[in-house]
Amino acid sequence: MRDIWIIAENTPWARTLAAAAATLSKGAKTIAFVNGDEAAAKDAIAHGAAEAYSLPLPADAPWEAYTPALADKAGKEKPSLILLSASRRCRDMASRLAALLDAPCFSEGKNITVSDAGVTVSTMLYGGLAVKTAATSAETALITIGAKDFEHGAADPSRSGKVGTLPLSSAGVTVTGRKPRVAQTVDLGAAAKVLGVGRGVSEQGDLVVIRNLAKAIGAEVGCSRPIAEFFKWMPEECYIGISGQQLKPQLYIAVGISGQAQHYFGIRDARTIVSINKDKESLMNQNADYFIPADWKDAVTELLKAVQK
Amino acid sequence: MKKIAVCYKWVLNDADIRVNEKSRDLDVEKSKPQINEYDRNGLATGVMLKESAGAAELVGVTCGADTEPSAKDALSRGPDVVYYLSDPALAQADSTASSKVLAAMIRSLGDVDVVICSECSSDEYAQQVGPRLAALLGWPSVSYVSAVSVNGDTLTLDRKLEEGTETVTVKAPVVIVVSPDVCDAPIPGVKQILSAKKKPSHALTLAGIGLSAETVKPLAAVQSVKAPLTSRKAVNLMADGESVAEAVAKLVKQLSTEGVL
Ligand SMILES: Cc1cc2nc3c(=O)[nH]c(=O)nc-3n(C[C@H](O)[C@H](O)[C@H](O)COP(=O)(O)OP(=O)(O)OC[C@H]3O[C@@H](n4cnc5c(N)ncnc54)[C@H](O)[C@@H]3O)c2cc1C
Ligand SMILES: Cc1cc2nc3c(=O)[nH]c(=O)nc-3n(C[C@H](O)[C@H](O)[C@H](O)COP(=O)(O)OP(=O)(O)OC[C@H]3O[C@@H](n4cnc5c(N)ncnc54)[C@H](O)[C@@H]3O)c2cc1C
Repeated sequence: MRDIWIIAENTPWARTLAAAAATLSKGAKTIAFVNGDEAAAKDAIAHGAAEAYSLPLPADAPWEAYTPALADKAGKEKPSLILLSASRRCRDMASRLAALLDAPCFSEGKNITVSDAGVTVSTMLYGGLAVKTAATSAETALITIGAKDFEHGAADPSRSGKVGTLPLSSAGVTVTGRKPRVAQTVDLGAAAKVLGVGRGVSEQGDLVVIRNLAKAIGAEVGCSRPIAEFFKWMPEECYIGISGQQLKPQLYIAVGISGQAQHYFGIRDARTIVSINKDKESLMNQNADYFIPADWKDAVTELLKAVQK
Repeated sequence: MKKIAVCYKWVLNDADIRVNEKSRDLDVEKSKPQINEYDRNGLATGVMLKESAGAAELVGVTCGADTEPSAKDALSRGPDVVYYLSDPALAQADSTASSKVLAAMIRSLGDVDVVICSECSSDEYAQQVGPRLAALLGWPSVSYVSAVSVNGDTLTLDRKLEEGTETVTVKAPVVIVVSPDVCDAPIPGVKQILSAKKKPSHALTLAGIGLSAETVKPLAAVQSVKAPLTSRKAVNLMADGESVAEAVAKLVKQLSTEGVL
């Protein structure tokens, strides 16, 4: 096997990807490319890379402007695998690199196995409804990796290796401003209990009842995508699913949620799932541990009474 | 500006896909194709951009195994004309193949200033085609766009990234990849549906755009598509005619026993 490259959005990602590379490499060399300064490159070396390149965020260009230089280098060195963070900038970069190298790219690849014949990777279809397994013998394959898929190991500060950087090319895109994300008001990811509000709750005013229940049981309130994105009843950070938050609470109670695969993806790792949905056959009910096939208002009112006792 | 093109994908409605509990295969019998939900926002962005840029034409572009039936629906969402390419060789098209075909289609149209893609498709959710297409065309691309404005041939775009918002400017020709919050996608009314019937749509062929079935072969061979096993019990708390209050009492007891309440 030739080298494994890792391309990371930041230092925590670089550590995760270094761990992924170590798991898959069978002794092959890891070469790291990290968004950050020289210290970030050195950190990648301490976490297992043999060589590391610092790719600092340019002031007036997107970070993705390193893509042509990376494609050029990859075209010459032909790494077997290029692992990238499944973050937005890296997904963009992965797609463009794949096109420039005419290489396959697997989005959020799981169950990756490497053999002399090539790479086998599973990816998700229809928001988690199915898993597709595919194999490629392409010279170079790209895979974006989820943040939680590999645990990074401890740093070994005695490790040393070559540190470098790559040139930027003007991609014709000029950055005129950057605004950091405003701090989230709720931290759904840290909550042990989460209530999810769906379109079955037809009036924004009804959220009060649900918030009362949340308070009574010490839960945070999240929602399905339409509630945040189309109705805008809650901030975008609150929606759960494949394109929103992915949670692992001990208890998830879905209120008026149909349970489409894209939503379910965000809560499938919850320990216990309860659904309140008047449609007995709804996917949410059928994929819950317990369900109450009734009007949500009756059920939530009764539940509030019961827990206040 | 002359032409603005919107790439939309004709996908199965995933809400109607069922899983065969025994084989774990997908049962797509009841699922009808539709315009990828995210691409409806892409089409709406095209309508908005055509107006504000004073572009001459808004074009819808799609490719797949059988895309002709998509034209009417797409046309009711704003484009002046749709170019579709149907070829059985594309039934197994991956992001690599799809972007190659779309790039060749865009080239063959000529005079395209802006290509709009959406972030992802509801089937593969690969988030690849837009940036790949730009790389193949040799154009700049801007992904995860949440706001668009235009002045002459310069676009100003907000990108929503994990760390915050990045504002960029870029000159046409360019590929922009929009997120669903970029603009609302109105449901076509009777008037739009009727006027779509009068709009033209044209079939393109792989040979006509200079590609062969060989060039669109996927780079990875699919071994299986299976639904993962779910292990949830799906206990109906009202199965024996319990009242809501009784069901809730059972639930509270059960959750307390499990130590999760
Ligand atoms: C590419 C893609 C990505 C997506 N990503 C996400 C994502 O990350 N997160 C997400 O949530 N969605 C996502 N979606 C959307 C998803 O497919 C569903 O459309 C969405 O989750 C449905 O939201 P909902 O359950 O609130 O609404 P609906 O599907 O409308 O369901 C409402 C439910 O409420 C029930 N109901 C109605 N009235 C009552 C009542 N009085 N009492 C009790 N129950 C009642 C109904 O039986 C129904 O099941 C995505 C879609 C696509 C195409
Ligand atoms: C039911 C079904 C089963 C499939 N099974 C397989 C399979 O087993 N193996 C396989 O390799 N492929 C399969 N495909 C094809 C595959 O889903 C896609 O064509 C390919 O992977 C590109 O989509 P993407 O998810 O990468 O698109 P994304 O990169 O997620 O899409 C982003 C954007 O690109 C544009 N876009 C993408 N594709 C098109 C298109 N065809 N026409 C116009 N615009 C487009 C749209 O603007 C879209 O919003 C299947 C498709 C369907 C509908």
